[in-house]
Amino acid sequence: MTNTSTPIIEFKNVGLSYDDDEILKNIDLELEAGKFYTLLGPSGSGKTTILNIISGQLKVTHGDILFEGNVINDVPVEKRRMNTVFQDYGLFPNMNVFDNVAFGPSIKGLSKKEIKNKVTEMLSLVKLSQYADREITELSGGQRQRVAIARALANDPDVLLLDEPLSALDYKLRKEMQYELREIQQRLGITFVFVTHDQEEALAMSDWIYVMNDGVIQQNGSPEDIYDEPINHFVADFIGESNILDGIMKADYLVHFTGKDFENVDAGMRPNERVEVVLRPEDLDLTTIDNGKLVVTIDDQSFRGDYYEITAIDDDGNEWQVQATNKSKIGERVGLTFDPEDIHIMRFNESENDFDARLERYEDDVDDAKK
Amino acid sequence: MSKKFRWANIYLWFVFILLYLPIFFLIVYSFNSGSVMQGWSGFSLKHYNELFSDTRILEILVNTFLIALLSSLLASIIGTGGALYIYNLKHTLSKNVFLSLNNILLVSPDVIIGASFLILFTVMGFALGFTSVLLSHIAFSIPIVVLMVLPRLQEMNQSLVAAAKDLGANNWQMLSRVILPVISPGILAGFFMAFTYSLDDFAVTFFVTGNGFTTLSVEVYSRARQGVSLEINALSALMFMVSLLLVLAYYVISTRAVRSKKRGTRLVLPATEGL
Amino acid sequence: MMPKSKKQRQLFYVVPYSIWLILFVFAPLVLLLFQSLTTSNGDFTLHNYAVYFASGTYLKMTFNSVWYAFLITLITLLISYPTAYLLNQLKQKQFWLLLVILPTWINLLLKTYAFVGLLSKTGTVNNFIGLLGIAPQQLLFSDWSFLLVAAYIEIPFMILPIFNSLAEINPRLEQASHDLGANKWQTLRRVILPLSMPGIKAGIQAVFIPSLSLFMITRLIGGNRVITLGTAIEEHFLVTQNWRLGSTIGVILIVAMVIIMILTRDRVRKSSRKRG
Repeated sequence: MTNTSTPIIEFKNVGLSYDDDEILKNIDLELEAGKFYTLLGPSGSGKTTILNIISGQLKVTHGDILFEGNVINDVPVEKRRMNTVFQDYGLFPNMNVFDNVAFGPSIKGLSKKEIKNKVTEMLSLVKLSQYADREITELSGGQRQRVAIARALANDPDVLLLDEPLSALDYKLRKEMQYELREIQQRLGITFVFVTHDQEEALAMSDWIYVMNDGVIQQNGSPEDIYDEPINHFVADFIGESNILDGIMKADYLVHFTGKDFENVDAGMRPNERVEVVLRPEDLDLTTIDNGKLVVTIDDQSFRGDYYEITAIDDDGNEWQVQATNKSKIGERVGLTFDPEDIHIMRFNESENDFDARLERYEDDVDDAKK
Repeated sequence: MSKKFRWANIYLWFVFILLYLPIFFLIVYSFNSGSVMQGWSGFSLKHYNELFSDTRILEILVNTFLIALLSSLLASIIGTGGALYIYNLKHTLSKNVFLSLNNILLVSPDVIIGASFLILFTVMGFALGFTSVLLSHIAFSIPIVVLMVLPRLQEMNQSLVAAAKDLGANNWQMLSRVILPVISPGILAGFFMAFTYSLDDFAVTFFVTGNGFTTLSVEVYSRARQGVSLEINALSALMFMVSLLLVLAYYVISTRAVRSKKRGTRLVLPATEGL
Repeated sequence: MMPKSKKQRQLFYVVPYSIWLILFVFAPLVLLLFQSLTTSNGDFTLHNYAVYFASGTYLKMTFNSVWYAFLITLITLLISYPTAYLLNQLKQKQFWLLLVILPTWINLLLKTYAFVGLLSKTGTVNNFIGLLGIAPQQLLFSDWSFLLVAAYIEIPFMILPIFNSLAEINPRLEQASHDLGANKWQTLRRVILPLSMPGIKAGIQAVFIPSLSLFMITRLIGGNRVITLGTAIEEHFLVTQNWRLGSTIGVILIVAMVIIMILTRDRVRKSSRKRG
């Protein structure tokens, strides 16, 4: 990641502990202006904590938070040019929709007319123009959600922080709001920092994802990077479905698992290094026994609309998740096949930097080979 | 920020000192070897001796606690029944009517309650004494219990009741196994408040007590006007210590309960920690 | 007794409660009204009301009662709101709240009696200000001492409902307010204060109405003067034995009370009150 302009938000070795509990460990991150960032992780992974540190609700134990290059550790919440959409919305029950959205502008001391214009603009942005006079209690969950977004945006923030804002909505509404949020972000061109535990949501909306676990950033990258090249067991398991097996890198471009050798595209490891092998269910195909790289027995299958989710067991007893277009018979023995580039290798205890270095080396190798 | 917080602490200290000053004043003078609450003549326990040999005041003390215990117990039973009845009413209107009626005594000035009960007992030809005081205390405690129990009923999970019915619980089982356990904190709170109201009551008792029977408040009132002996201070000191112990015990028990509850639901939002 | 049908169960709940409603809620009020509207022969009369409204003393007393109750409520509110607000921010707030409630468990009369000692001419307060070179003052039996003691007695009953309504406010709302650019003071005024209004109203009810009818404090601290409606009722019932006029004043007190209730109605839920 190379960028010449100053990041809008930067964390330098940020840590947070309560008593002996380390909530965040040495977090470094850089957010560029105008992008949609997602902090993704299971509950308790520290993602909301990072959001609260950015907004100023939480103070850090060590490290610096920078906003456009200036340290803002001691700038109070109300002085930061950021606003938050809270998980439970945090709408003021003593005010109607209009007054909720008008809260920020009126604190700023705008004139009555300016406030009215701002509120009208924001309500139309979230498609609630007709609801200005409603009480909060009269709104549905989805409408409250929109009011919360309008209220946060009415302050013209440079950064909008969203704390699992869609988690309380039903599936269809959630899909709709994902699309709309992305659209709003692109239209306004401001930075969004979105917190979620839903990997699908993260992949669908973000420019850049930070995967968190145990107070540590496990991996960051574009949705494609994260999905295609998970750095470790946790990320592979958390993002999408994965078949994860123990293996040995016998030599460059040759990996051994389930008792067999397979050609692959990874290199640069010690000979006979123990590794983990990741194969995505959608990269696997069922075929005849003769054409298969492995022979498996169909154990279970369920229809998922656009594909069949099949559980199969190989002769070593490993369980395989396969997404197949055709129906299979339970108990049938079939062949399982995949391409060399679908085999993804993860080294144990490899840090993000080691991983990036290895990736570059691999790319160099490829370039050399081309020459 | 920290400076501001210091001002806040000073203010709170001021309020707490104000709240406790008269009480500590009473307690300090209970150890005075002199006989009035003015001028310190030296440390002595003689007022405690006087207190323990004053059978009249001890008898009054027993009476006061007996009235408080009996009235809050009976009020808890009747009030819980009333709360269940009001809760079961289908129409909002009749519910509101009953609630308003319930609250009449709660918001009436004591003088009115005392005076009107005095008329009632006189009209009915009821002799004033232990029974009239007990009945009065039950009467003004019932609405407190109702008000403490009703919110618990309203918060009660409806699917809990439906599930119990579904599992074939009859009315009695429903009451004893499902409803009562859920509302018992409310009943306990009601009992507790009724008990303290009864102990503390002066005005109502003063009207309906007649000549033969007296409670602590009334006794102190009639003595205070001629100047009270310091054995009353000794009594106050003892009662304060008992209250303090009760509060501490209650606090320890309730925080333990909260803690063990927390252990089970660690990930639940801390904001759910209510009263 | 094991009620079987739903109807029986309802009866089981309601019979004792209904007896209470009829005997101790309806009957006393009806009797009070009846007393105020009849002569000793049982004939209807408005004589008692005529006496009340024709008398400057009673009207002045009524005004005094309302005025004192207003002052007591105001003083109590001004002291209690900041206290409740600050208490709510403490870590062990339930513990500190218990310490606020604890003084209410000490018998009211005993606390009042302590003030007699504190405020008397040779009492502690006078000794203290004597150290500062100020001559002993007549503190007891003044309007100020009456207000002081009444406010002292009522403070916990104002703090409690305000504290409860503050504790019920979702802390997220305060966060949201800061997030939207409001400082502590703006948050207090625009978010916290409006949301704690039900507690304030409950507190006003819990303090104002009992303050209207105080008679014990008036007698012991206020100097045994008949200055409030409460004292007047007590005087008529227990000293001069003029129950009919006492009942009349009682009815007027009830009317005043109903007006206060209507003024502070909306959404009042938890109310605690004080007897005195």
